[in-house]
Amino acid sequence: MAFPREIYQALEDIVGKRNISENIGICETYRSIPSQSSAHYGPSEHWTPLPQAVVLPGSTEEVQNVIRICNKYGIEFKASTTFWATMGYIGSDFAIQIDTRRMKSVKIDAKNMCAVVEPFAIAATVQAEVMKYGLNINIPGVGCSSSTLANFSSWIAFGPNSISMGQGSENVLGMEWVLPNGEVLRTGSLGAGEGWFCGEGPGPSLRGILRGIFGAAGSLGVCTKMAVRLHPWPGPADFPTYGTVPAYKADFGPNFKCYTLCFPTWEAWARSVQYFHESDVAYSGHRQFNMFGRNLKGAMLNIITDADKQLSDLEELVNDPYIQKENEKMKLDYQVIIAGFSERDMEYKEKAIDYILEQTGGWKSEMMLEKDKHDYALLYLTRLGHKNLNFVMCGAYEGTFGLSSNVWKTIQVVEEAVALKRKWEVEHDSIAATGGDSAMGSLSGIGGGGATGWEFFTNFDAYDKNSVHGTAKFVDGNQEFHNKYSFGPDFCRWNSDVRHMNGYNYTQEEHNQMFANAPQPWVYAYQYKIREAINPKNLCGTYFRTVDPKCLEK
Amino acid sequence: MALQDYRAMMERCSTCAGCKFIPFDKIKSLRFAENCPSIGYYNFMTYSARGRFQLSQSLLDGRAQLDDTVTEAIHTCTSCGYCDVGCKVTRYNLEPLEHNIELKAYAVENGKVLEGQKPVIENLKKEHSMIPGAKKANRTDWAKELNLKDLFKDKAEVAFFAGCKYSYDPKLQKMAQSAVKLLQSAGVDLGYLGAADNCCAGRAHQMGFFNEFKERAEANIKAFETAGVKIIVTPCSDCYHAFKRQYAKLGLNIKVLHVVEYVDQLIQEGKIKFTKEVPLTVTYHDPCHLGRLGEDYVPWDGKEKKIYNQIQIWEPRRPRYNGAYGIYDAPRNILKAIPGIKLVEMERIREYSWCCGAGAGCNESNPEFSAWTASERITEANATGADALVTACPWCKDNFVNAVDENGNKIEVLDIIELVRQAI
Repeated sequence: MAFPREIYQALEDIVGKRNISENIGICETYRSIPSQSSAHYGPSEHWTPLPQAVVLPGSTEEVQNVIRICNKYGIEFKASTTFWATMGYIGSDFAIQIDTRRMKSVKIDAKNMCAVVEPFAIAATVQAEVMKYGLNINIPGVGCSSSTLANFSSWIAFGPNSISMGQGSENVLGMEWVLPNGEVLRTGSLGAGEGWFCGEGPGPSLRGILRGIFGAAGSLGVCTKMAVRLHPWPGPADFPTYGTVPAYKADFGPNFKCYTLCFPTWEAWARSVQYFHESDVAYSGHRQFNMFGRNLKGAMLNIITDADKQLSDLEELVNDPYIQKENEKMKLDYQVIIAGFSERDMEYKEKAIDYILEQTGGWKSEMMLEKDKHDYALLYLTRLGHKNLNFVMCGAYEGTFGLSSNVWKTIQVVEEAVALKRKWEVEHDSIAATGGDSAMGSLSGIGGGGATGWEFFTNFDAYDKNSVHGTAKFVDGNQEFHNKYSFGPDFCRWNSDVRHMNGYNYTQEEHNQMFANAPQPWVYAYQYKIREAINPKNLCGTYFRTVDPKCLEK
Repeated sequence: MALQDYRAMMERCSTCAGCKFIPFDKIKSLRFAENCPSIGYYNFMTYSARGRFQLSQSLLDGRAQLDDTVTEAIHTCTSCGYCDVGCKVTRYNLEPLEHNIELKAYAVENGKVLEGQKPVIENLKKEHSMIPGAKKANRTDWAKELNLKDLFKDKAEVAFFAGCKYSYDPKLQKMAQSAVKLLQSAGVDLGYLGAADNCCAGRAHQMGFFNEFKERAEANIKAFETAGVKIIVTPCSDCYHAFKRQYAKLGLNIKVLHVVEYVDQLIQEGKIKFTKEVPLTVTYHDPCHLGRLGEDYVPWDGKEKKIYNQIQIWEPRRPRYNGAYGIYDAPRNILKAIPGIKLVEMERIREYSWCCGAGAGCNESNPEFSAWTASERITEANATGADALVTACPWCKDNFVNAVDENGNKIEVLDIIELVRQAI
């Protein structure tokens, strides 16, 4: 459908000539191909639809006016920040892409331990600014290159720090939200004119509706400002980095330690995790470097911590006897950071770790205590500035299995999942053969401790169509494993019910069919009512799962 | 290579944003966190290395066309190479800078160039200089009083290559003269190419005019070889990069030094001694083509291979140009050796330094964008509290001299050789 001149002109009048484009070349760069990004609905070679225009608003008012135009003319819109995830892209042909790049301020209220951030303030910049006040933020596992606001408003947002700081939903305070009908909603204390410090009140507490636990992935309008909780940071005001690119490291001083803890069995592993959930000792906890796979992680750690090494050195390092020995010791491992708020606090935490290891028969990886590796891992996990190593081996990955659950439940099936992936690695060449176990993720997906948040990194080559197709088949196999244990959708299928493989939205009729028979279908009917109230023209795609209540009444 | 040869890289880019920010570990503030002038100014994704990868896919597949908007987006890139550094923090097999320049060459091949580029390239062809209006007949006027040996008539160990900017710009000529006098006073046996001195054409390469670059490069290589040059010393960072990296690919096998490397060496050898104090607090701007793009060229002839099913490696091991071993310490050593100088650093330095905005001819073709890029750097320099911004490239200096920061304030801009001369 041709984009009428009057619409384009109306949008241009709002954002200015410099901040809008309908040029096909420009708009082409606002399309996503899921095989080139971890899209959580399996590898796909289809591009998302071409936007009719791309607009870059510079303020809440401009966002509001853009959305009003969309309402007037029935144009779908989707706002995104860094454009990493496919979920941030439009899903129909008569749609515009909102790029929030011009909105990136960070305002800190150190006294109330919160920061008000705009969409394009990536986590690295928010963290850098708040560290100057002795404060820190939860950076989700996706890494510091992503938007704090987008993560906290629209997705799950747990990461290494979640064990001490909580996941996205636990960090949201006051919000300023342009609803899909063009109204501005101010939530929590902000809605009562009392400032940003509280998400629940005084004022309207709509956190559950606007984001829930998973987030609405941009399908309930545009969050333009958000206050996020800040947490104590006993470290330096900026990172004292050293080392040669890309192997940057940092020494935070004596009140920080990063350990790679290893265990003889999954049972011991789980007991240790439970100890951490109960003890409040860990500042961060993540099974991070296992993303390179059980067989390769020791070698990969020696590559990424050495500026002169590269992937061409991988085979030689994998066969190095010392690395093999250390790798074997790290088979069942995870990383924890302890941060001492005083010398005594640090001593206590060190003793607590020793106690946990004593009780579980665990040990500290000696290789990971070598200074360069220690300082690399400490910086890595604190800033998550190298998270895009996710893609280093093959250029693409998808998270599979997604054993995000109670650790005791997880460990019962983890080796079966490992064997399934390993079998595929050996019998097919579509995914990287990294050793079956490439489970990585947070020690706790929620604050204080609880369910882990895991995925098996499945690396494939987006350029190699056989690899893409083979990975898609592997993903199907994973779902069968999940079905067997009634685990629901596999991690790489979490978004399969929100967007067709060709990148387009589902129709309401299709969603009705999907969700009428889902467990607890009235949840989706309730969401339908919400959408009807704040998004009557259904202009933000189909990431918000709904079922028409009439389908259930029948 | 041709544009389609980068297809695998285009499809393996994961939109991670590494090409738009300084290495995330190095971010100290929101204000100076970003590092791609092109997307910094124009804001659309298209102007980033990621956007360019995606644009190329669309062009090759016939979805996008080389219209005026796309042509401008393609050429509005200073080829500063930061995207390469940022990308390679976590990705080991992508070459965004090479691709950006190849995309420009694709546009050039299809006759899509910017108006502001035309006089630059025309003058290169006609007068062998990339400064519009410059005449070949006047190229060596700056050297008349210097007693430099003409290497086609006389022998000398070292060839001094001033480059177009120092040769023609009246405000900058005295810097080249100072550099020559400095080296001569330290006992360096110095000559120059005389009538055979021509533009290095490195900027033509940065702009995607590969044929024009190759023609000049081959002529210059022949001239250096005929003159029996053993070492080339240049005060221009663009020339330095051209000789060291681009000419090396074409067969130049002569040692190349930037004047800061040579001066640093002479200071260490005691051949340059400082006698005067220069009481200044300065901050140093790393020129892109001396810093992150100043690494040695290492020949490589290999291919991609997959191991462990899908892990992509180069066989044999391929050199990685990521700015790790650029020229950063030599200029800082010089500044630290000058009595009275206090060096304070900006946030974006060394391999993740912000560009001056003059790269790839953008000062001629996109002057507003170029001026904004310079202004960003002046803002950063002024944030350090320094009295002066020091650099080691005439293009950087020229672009900074007329720039003001976001508050309308200027800063004194000095060539590092000026400071050295003041201290002797």
